[in-house]
Amino acid sequence: MAMIDEPLYPIAVLIDELKNEDIQLRLNSIRRLSTIARALGEERTRKELIPFLSENNDDDDEVLLAMAEELGVFIPYVGGVEHANVLLPPLETLCSVEETCVRDKAVESLCRIGAQMREPDLVESFIPLVKRLAGGEWFTARVSSCGLFHIAYPSAPETLKTELRALYSQLCQDDMPMVRRSAASNLGKFAATVEAAHLKADIMSIFEDLTQDDQDSVRLLAVEGCAALGKLLEPQDCVAHILPVIVNFSQDKSWRVRYMVANQLYELCEAVGPEPTRSDLVPAYVRLLRDNEAEVRIAAAGKVTKFCRILNPELAIQHILPCVKELSSDSSQHVRSALASVIMGMAPVLGKDATIDQLLPIFLSLLKDEFPDVRLNIISKLDQVNQVIGIDLLSQSLLPAIVELAEDRHWRVRLAIIEYIPLLASQLGVGFFDDKLGALCMQWLKDKVYSIRDAAANNVKRLAEEFGPDWAMQHIIPQVLDMINNPHYLYRMTILHAISLLAPVMGSEITCSKLLPVVINAAKDRVPNIKFNVAKVLQSLTPIVDQSVVDKTIRPCLVELSEDPDVDVRFFASQALQASDQIMMSS
Amino acid sequence: MVSTSNVVVNHASRTAPAPSVVNSAPQPGGAVIDPTALPSGNIDPLPPFRDVAVSDRQLLFLRKLQICCFQFDFTDTLKSVREKEIKRQTLLELIDFIQSGSGKITENNQEEMIKMISVNIFRCLPPAPHENSGSEMLEIEEEPYAEPAWPHLHLVYELLLRYVVSSDTDTKIAKRYIDHSFVLKLLDLFDADDPREREYLKTILHRIYGKFMVHRPFIRKAINNIFYRFIYETERHSGIGELLEILGSIINGFALPMKEEHKLFLVRALIPLHKPKALALYHQQLSYCITQFVEKDYKLADTVIRGLLKYWPITNCTKELLFLGELEEVLEATQSAEFQRCMVPLFRQIGRCLNSSHSQVAERAFFLWKNDHIVSLIAQNRNVILPIIFEPLEKNVQSHWNQAVHGLTINIRKMFLEMDFELFEECQKQHEEMEARARELEEQRELIWKRLAEAAEQRKGEDGITV
Repeated sequence: MAMIDEPLYPIAVLIDELKNEDIQLRLNSIRRLSTIARALGEERTRKELIPFLSENNDDDDEVLLAMAEELGVFIPYVGGVEHANVLLPPLETLCSVEETCVRDKAVESLCRIGAQMREPDLVESFIPLVKRLAGGEWFTARVSSCGLFHIAYPSAPETLKTELRALYSQLCQDDMPMVRRSAASNLGKFAATVEAAHLKADIMSIFEDLTQDDQDSVRLLAVEGCAALGKLLEPQDCVAHILPVIVNFSQDKSWRVRYMVANQLYELCEAVGPEPTRSDLVPAYVRLLRDNEAEVRIAAAGKVTKFCRILNPELAIQHILPCVKELSSDSSQHVRSALASVIMGMAPVLGKDATIDQLLPIFLSLLKDEFPDVRLNIISKLDQVNQVIGIDLLSQSLLPAIVELAEDRHWRVRLAIIEYIPLLASQLGVGFFDDKLGALCMQWLKDKVYSIRDAAANNVKRLAEEFGPDWAMQHIIPQVLDMINNPHYLYRMTILHAISLLAPVMGSEITCSKLLPVVINAAKDRVPNIKFNVAKVLQSLTPIVDQSVVDKTIRPCLVELSEDPDVDVRFFASQALQASDQIMMSS
Repeated sequence: MVSTSNVVVNHASRTAPAPSVVNSAPQPGGAVIDPTALPSGNIDPLPPFRDVAVSDRQLLFLRKLQICCFQFDFTDTLKSVREKEIKRQTLLELIDFIQSGSGKITENNQEEMIKMISVNIFRCLPPAPHENSGSEMLEIEEEPYAEPAWPHLHLVYELLLRYVVSSDTDTKIAKRYIDHSFVLKLLDLFDADDPREREYLKTILHRIYGKFMVHRPFIRKAINNIFYRFIYETERHSGIGELLEILGSIINGFALPMKEEHKLFLVRALIPLHKPKALALYHQQLSYCITQFVEKDYKLADTVIRGLLKYWPITNCTKELLFLGELEEVLEATQSAEFQRCMVPLFRQIGRCLNSSHSQVAERAFFLWKNDHIVSLIAQNRNVILPIIFEPLEKNVQSHWNQAVHGLTINIRKMFLEMDFELFEECQKQHEEMEARARELEEQRELIWKRLAEAAEQRKGEDGITV
């Protein structure tokens, strides 16, 4: 081709590609921005490529998003941190576009670059950028600016710091709730960079304004600030300024705000110390556990263990446990489900006696809950309770629960319980397992849903791993192999799949003596799907068994299959033969 | 303990802890009523207005307002039946009093009435279906949500509406009570799930907008904020359709030449409203607003069309059909100059639609040619348009699976052929050339990138950049 000798103009290539109608091509070229930059060299990247990108901001959001991301890691291509500031203008423009994803990515990239920039450069170019965005005409720029203050502030000289704090305070009182929300959600990050003296004065007054915002969407973001600020303040300041706010929030008229409090409350306990926790936070939390709104109770119930870990056991038993008891028979199944997923963790906190006296009855009642998710959540955390009270106390109630879930009419529930079987097996031990659960594991192999059969095959393998080949020879292999005679070909296929999974665990000898004959036999099946699966399984068995077995048994069978009337059988058989050829050649 | 597992505690009962009918305890979620405003003990019915002297009616009005500040638990229909009925009757009497014009109510009573209305309607809305953990079960039922307290709420709304529209209501005084904060809270309620409630809100807000001139810019700004949050943050809101309906009639009344503020509203709020997934829920109202703009000021047509192109759906065919419908309406009001400003990107998109494997989308795009005005715009600019859509047409002829789309393609091809035979031939020639060169171009592109990568590698050695 003639053009091979033509000189190469990397920028022209990019400009050309970005003009293309096909968005995929434009995206590809943006994704290869670093190639262009490297081909250009650092200086021309700074002087030509970056200015071009600053201009090119009228593309699809998808392309802009890719650009925002690429620029975040572009420092090496412009000549290192001393030139990092040239990357700011294109990202500044991207901070003001409409699409949220693009803005967020641009802010992320700016933070990444700002964190590496040298202090004088930050003062000279990064801080002015933040100020420009914060004063932006359209809300998108102001929203973006809120996420940049924590990078700008630490390197600012004193006067600029004062200015930045004032600017942030303005953003918190912005006319548009979008900006106030952004300011509220970034307040914690910014506050962490502000000096203690200003924290108490400036930041706390900003915070108080946000907590009284008339939009609940702003207030609930301020709740997040409570925990973040609480950790920055001295305990006495925290008690004086944050505690009343959070107690107020816990009774906010918006359930969304109370929901946030329920999620965050435990984080504040450490910040305020034990006494205010006892006198104020425990009552607040108890209120939330008994909230009218189920969503709030769900959030509160989900944090019950985390909260109790911070309290001393007495307080937990006296105040929290009664609520837990109520929640275990809550009218909302989702509340019970949330409780069930964490309640096991309370056992170590309460100690053995309280667990047996008070917690165990709750476990047992949840284990019989009418809603399967609740039971599943209890079973999934079984190892935790086993550590405290031992499995014997539980096993009597456990088994009926497992059996019932194993036969649940929703296949996803059955799937979930199968996935816990290996955990149960390791907790319950061989003895318990043999009598009761063995039959269930076989039953799942004959489930009418494919995903369950698939999971069941995998489960059989994991059990063999857990209890070893000897045990498996006795309790799994005969039963599994028996099923190869099932009249339905789909079940026979499951068994073939199980065999291919079991073989590596069982080892060469058992594979040759027990598993392989069954597979070879299945090659005579009347259903082509079985036959080509035989070919696939044989291919997977090849590396496990001796070469002599391959030559004597596997290859002849495959050769026969490769002449089958069915095209797919021939295909997979010859594929397996090729694979075995390759193994032979390499060895 | 084990045996309690079937007993379900009904938390709703916690709303009324005492046997008293009143939720006077500051329960979270329940409204807080100034206890001093409450008569002690039970609610007793008051005499009707006509039974007391005119001079006593204002006092009676106030006492009736106080009764209406009580709130009841509607989740239990058997609870406080008598009291609920008294409140209902009282609300009806208040409505009647306002409606009949049987005397102005005093300023103090107006203030108290707005307070009573606020206590009743301003509540935190319950979790929407998507926020509700039990939503999988809710999604199955198609029934719209019905607010349990509606029997009282709708009367409270009715009272507010009567007050706003009454000729006795003096806006100079009323604006002190129906203030920014009141309007803002009213707007918050548009997210309510109950369509009956949104219908009332729509009517009331519209009337407030009409009557309270001072609030107009504020209301527009607040609606914009709701839109921005919906577009850029949550993509969830139940009342976008209702808000757009109000705006539709507001836009209708815009004076010409249009203010810059209103044009900005079109560009910054209305056009981006095409982005959210749930467009179908409010598209009709949105499309009305958009066409209103273009019909009022045809110079906005290309701005609108470019906007539509920016948010054109990529995979959602249902949305794409809505876009095509709206596009036709906008084109209908588009003049030649504006058309020319956006026709290149427009027909690239239309070309993609013609090729859509979703036959309805392709058909809908072909239907644009059934519109005489659009056909004449196309005919005037065929030199630009045919070269763009020639390839998509050929592609359909060669490989579209759908018979109807095939037929439509042939018709349009024929239309162009008859319109300008020479041009058609020229396009055909170009197309054949392009076809022949396609592979070569693709190879060239790959080669260029390969050479770039090599150049980059070489550079890397020279500059010693380590990445």
